[in-house]
Amino acid sequence: MPAAAIQTEHLTRRYGARRGVENVSISIPEGSLYGFLGPNGAGKTTTIRVLLGFLRATSGSALILGHDCWRRGHTVRAQVGAIPGDLRLWPWMTGLSALRLFGRIRGLDLLSRGRQLADELELDLNVRVRAMSRGTRQKLGLILALAHNPCILILDEPTTGLDPLIQDRLRAILKRLTSAGHTVFFSSHTLAEVEAICDRVAIVRQGRIVADSTLADLQRQAGHEVTISFKPGAPLPTPPDFLTIDESSPHFWKGRICGDVAPLLSFLAAAPVDDVTISRPDLEALFRRFYESPEQGA
Amino acid sequence: MNLGLIQRALREIVPVSLVFGPLLAAIAALLGFALPRIANRIANPSFLPPAARQLRDSLLGIDTTSANPSDIVFALAWSHPVILILVFAHATITCTRVPAAEIERGTIDVLFALPVTRLRLFVSETAAWFMCAACVIGCVYAGSFIGTRFISPNLRPDFSRLFVILVNLAAMYCAVGCLALAACACSDRRGRAVILVVVLTVGSLLLNFLEPLWEPAKHVSFMSILHYYRPINVLMSGAWPWRDLAVLGGLAISLWTFASIVLSRRDITTT
Repeated sequence: MPAAAIQTEHLTRRYGARRGVENVSISIPEGSLYGFLGPNGAGKTTTIRVLLGFLRATSGSALILGHDCWRRGHTVRAQVGAIPGDLRLWPWMTGLSALRLFGRIRGLDLLSRGRQLADELELDLNVRVRAMSRGTRQKLGLILALAHNPCILILDEPTTGLDPLIQDRLRAILKRLTSAGHTVFFSSHTLAEVEAICDRVAIVRQGRIVADSTLADLQRQAGHEVTISFKPGAPLPTPPDFLTIDESSPHFWKGRICGDVAPLLSFLAAAPVDDVTISRPDLEALFRRFYESPEQGA
Repeated sequence: MNLGLIQRALREIVPVSLVFGPLLAAIAALLGFALPRIANRIANPSFLPPAARQLRDSLLGIDTTSANPSDIVFALAWSHPVILILVFAHATITCTRVPAAEIERGTIDVLFALPVTRLRLFVSETAAWFMCAACVIGCVYAGSFIGTRFISPNLRPDFSRLFVILVNLAAMYCAVGCLALAACACSDRRGRAVILVVVLTVGSLLLNFLEPLWEPAKHVSFMSILHYYRPINVLMSGAWPWRDLAVLGGLAISLWTFASIVLSRRDITTT
């Protein structure tokens, strides 16, 4: 089993009486693209702030590459490229001066790699930040996060403000990095982009992890969505225990089953069925289910 | 220290210093040029009514009956409220940037995501501030020097004594700057840090002014930072004010240490 690049154990962070995150345990193997999903205020940014050493955990631990994120924050950050959710940069900087400055602070030459990334993301490095649009600033933030070729990327809603073409390019860059062994922690509330690129996803709700698995596993755990239309006039059978009916009309059932579909097929064989569909829920439906239910929605 | 961080800090402090430095030099030059011309009117008891004399002594912090006119006017120039306010304002503006102003501006996330310890960041910020501070305080001396070139040589002050006053002013500036660093390290809002520094420095000015005029103020005057800055004493005696320098230096070091500890240990939240 590959070593954990990012690991939290029973991580709890409170802001006085206010909840931040509660008992968050995640383990992200090296080389994975990990989606961290949740609506606004769920605790995504708090988790990231603890990982970057901005906040001290109230209890529990947060480790990156085996280093404690608070005590060894500077060592951790040397290996990490990060972009905050609401990126602000110093208005007097240009892209080039930012690369020079960050290079000097990190003790690295970031110019050549920065220029390469700027070409890929179509950024003019001579424009001052104060003259940049939100999306352009985001591109510069991404370049600064990627230019030192970090082992780990912590990205808080990184596609904010980017046009679809650049979003695709960013996804391509991230996939290329993970296939080269880099680890990406990708926080988002946009389901589609997580579904498109992440191989593993955690869903955070009200500060707690309500699911942490591969997308395939999550969909498997979530079972199947079933719609059944019965022949008009035929007597309706009694719904079986393994089928949860969400919606019903005289000749139509819509529901879901957990586990194997074999009992359902046996049931259907004996019922006056006109039409049937059995499908896996997409991430959107899965996500909504996790959020709508106070307990684990699956 | 980190050269990149010093460069970043300088990029923000230098423009402010380029405004304050020349302004202070110009005012110091103007005071150095104008005040000696009216030295007799300021210093001679027969020209000044008692109330005005008392106000003059309040500004200087001591009874100046035995002082010579030249010492009085140069002491007035170096403790002139405009000079002191500008010096304090520069210290306050430049020392309330990290973390409070960065949190307000939203750039703290980028700054603190860099692979340096907070202490190293703080030391680098302090180094950049010191570089600019030396230039700004030096401008007061340079202005005074330039202004007195245009007056009669017999009215000119002893510049070795003015240098001692300059060191005393620098020590007081450092104490105010470190107070601003400490207030800023504890706060998420620059405005709050600035208000605290302004209240304490204005309180100091007021206390210093009241000291010769109001008996109760004498008992608490040691709490005023200006109690440890007496240009007239230096001009009269020529001696280094070691006790005052020690108090101001000790205060500055204590506040700087406190600020560095708070900054290293505090949580950074922007939401």
